[in-house]
Amino acid sequence: MIRLSLLVGFLKKEFKQTLRNPKMRILIFVTPVIQLIVFGIALSTDVKNIRLWAKYSPNDYVMQHIYEHCIASQWFLPVIANQNNDPFELIQSGQAEVVLIPPPGGLTKALGRGTAPLQVLIDATNVIRAQSIESYMQTISKKVVADDLKIVPEQSPITFVIRVLYNPTLETSYFMVPGVMCILISIITVILTSASITREKEMGTFEMLISAPISAMDVILGKTVPFVILGMSNALLVFLVSVLVFNVPMRGSLFVLFFASFVYVCSTVAIGTFISTLAQNQQQATLGGFLFLFPAILLSGLLFPLENMPTLMQWVSYCDPLAHFMSLLRNIMLKGGETQFIVFHVGILCVMAIIFVFISFKRFHTTLQ
Amino acid sequence: MAITKKEIYHILRDPFTLILSLGLPVFLVFVFGFAIEFNVKNIHLAVFDADQSQSSRRLMDTFGSSGYFIVDQLSSIALTQKAILNDQARAALIIPDNFEADLFSTRNADVQLLLDGSDNSTIGPVLSYLGTIQSMAAKRIADFNPPQYIDLKTRFLFNPELNSRWFVIPGLTVVVMAILSVLLTALTVAREWENGSMELLLSTPIEPLEIIVGKLAPYAILGIIAVAFVYVISRTVFTVPFQGSLIIFGVGVMLFLVTYLSQGLLISVITRSQQVAMQIGILSGLMPAQLLSGFIFPIENMPAFFQYLTMLLPARWFMTITRYSYLRGATFLEMGIPFLALSILAALMIFLAVKKFKKDLEP
Repeated sequence: MIRLSLLVGFLKKEFKQTLRNPKMRILIFVTPVIQLIVFGIALSTDVKNIRLWAKYSPNDYVMQHIYEHCIASQWFLPVIANQNNDPFELIQSGQAEVVLIPPPGGLTKALGRGTAPLQVLIDATNVIRAQSIESYMQTISKKVVADDLKIVPEQSPITFVIRVLYNPTLETSYFMVPGVMCILISIITVILTSASITREKEMGTFEMLISAPISAMDVILGKTVPFVILGMSNALLVFLVSVLVFNVPMRGSLFVLFFASFVYVCSTVAIGTFISTLAQNQQQATLGGFLFLFPAILLSGLLFPLENMPTLMQWVSYCDPLAHFMSLLRNIMLKGGETQFIVFHVGILCVMAIIFVFISFKRFHTTLQ
Repeated sequence: MAITKKEIYHILRDPFTLILSLGLPVFLVFVFGFAIEFNVKNIHLAVFDADQSQSSRRLMDTFGSSGYFIVDQLSSIALTQKAILNDQARAALIIPDNFEADLFSTRNADVQLLLDGSDNSTIGPVLSYLGTIQSMAAKRIADFNPPQYIDLKTRFLFNPELNSRWFVIPGLTVVVMAILSVLLTALTVAREWENGSMELLLSTPIEPLEIIVGKLAPYAILGIIAVAFVYVISRTVFTVPFQGSLIIFGVGVMLFLVTYLSQGLLISVITRSQQVAMQIGILSGLMPAQLLSGFIFPIENMPAFFQYLTMLLPARWFMTITRYSYLRGATFLEMGIPFLALSILAALMIFLAVKKFKKDLEP
């Protein structure tokens, strides 16, 4: 059975060992905070700083207005290049991301004759940026043309009255910070756990543990509980940074958030433990950790919405603990936490934790014979 | 030479690591290639239709046939809000009961659209598309066809079909190399420091420089093999075009490899411990390569300060070289700045690594 004093002994030893190196202490507590701040500020899905160049002759004033409006919108940055440049070259060389080319004779004259074509060349390397750029151009060019031609646009018979819930200003950080939080916690729980346990195997101290008069359950608990505690302390740290530095709202219950984080940390530590039963040295443990972590990050919903994927891949993402926890974080912090939703996702995380603990236990048992 | 041979034997004797190191890139390319999709679709739109008229049905149809939305009709407004709260829908459309009546009498009908703001990556594209859907709806249902004064002829260069894979998979070259070079080197060399065999090596009459080259050479080879795998898979399975010169790209690969291997070496010398080496390797090599190199999140989206900061990252420059080589067929001159920056960073990293290595040898 589980003996508390034994567990405490394990905890003390594990903490001492892991935290003995001052560099490790910094890495586990300080760097996640720094990373969260850096990534929270730097990573953004807002499309801006678009380098724009427009070809126009001095008397093509509509074209000039469109260009000026684009720059004034603050989404676009002007590219300084004289009018003799080949528009295509400007994009090929990377100087500009989008180039506007009016019809021959100028846009202003063409508008006088009827519908005027305006060529827009967009660097489509980044798919999302390309689409946003096109969308911005549509909006701005239509407005400028209507203004310049003194046309009062007819009111559309159907109007969409749009309300954005939970995040009306569409702050990227509200969306990004919980996601990065999740990843940072996972690195500690999965990789540190698996590498740690494997290190004992490598150094041979594992054999010593097995030969001691304690049960396999004691060993497993003793080696995983410290990382659950480390993971939880990390979670607390990054949560504080999110709320204090990024002002991510916390509309749900702290207790629910704590409980969800606890279950998540347990499930990822369990996965780390499972990986360690497969690896023979730390290199393998780390590589194995990444083998799990990379797809998990990909399928978590941070990089792109999961709905975009084919249905089969969406089913696979149900097996990804990061996907569940990311949704949980967003739901609890931004939406206040809906009971049915929380029970469902926390339930899946519980099941995962139990399954992996069970498998790891069985594998430990066979190793111990 | 002998050291390289010994290192190669080491690796071959541990087939598990070898398979993992070579399998990981292949696995990643396949998973990313098949899963990644930036083009927004399958967004669940919860609809409450109080009007139940022909016009309201045509409105729902306009949303449904746009290719963006999956329309779920619900029986009350509260249910639509619950659906958003529950993550079952990302948007809700609420059609009032006088929709058709207003449309035909005053030509001024409003419908309410609620969007889930907690998910920026879905809502961003949707918001920019709503204008088009509104025009389509007005045209189809109310025959509203205002004259178009300007006709935007958009041409998407380098990736005309907006294929997400063409954007991501070349970038995977960078990430894959980052994993292999920093991690493997940091871990392997740190392991030798940890169990003392490095000191043994250093006490032999072999030049320290020879030791370094000998130890890193196999990992350079592994890295090149991994890049080759990514290249072959990207070209054959995912038909990503490669417009540039393989030779120039190869030079970029070597430069980046040398930089990251030196970084791994430097890390192992400073930390002398596998655990710490691994954490620092992830922090300084892997996370920047993944998040700050422009792999998924564009550098242009970052605040100016961070854009300048990323100039210190070899991964950022190599990402440019890789993408330009694949999608743009850029010449060496066009990639002059990235190559220059990468060379400077490479030289710097090698210098630091060798200097630290030699300094530590001093009794």
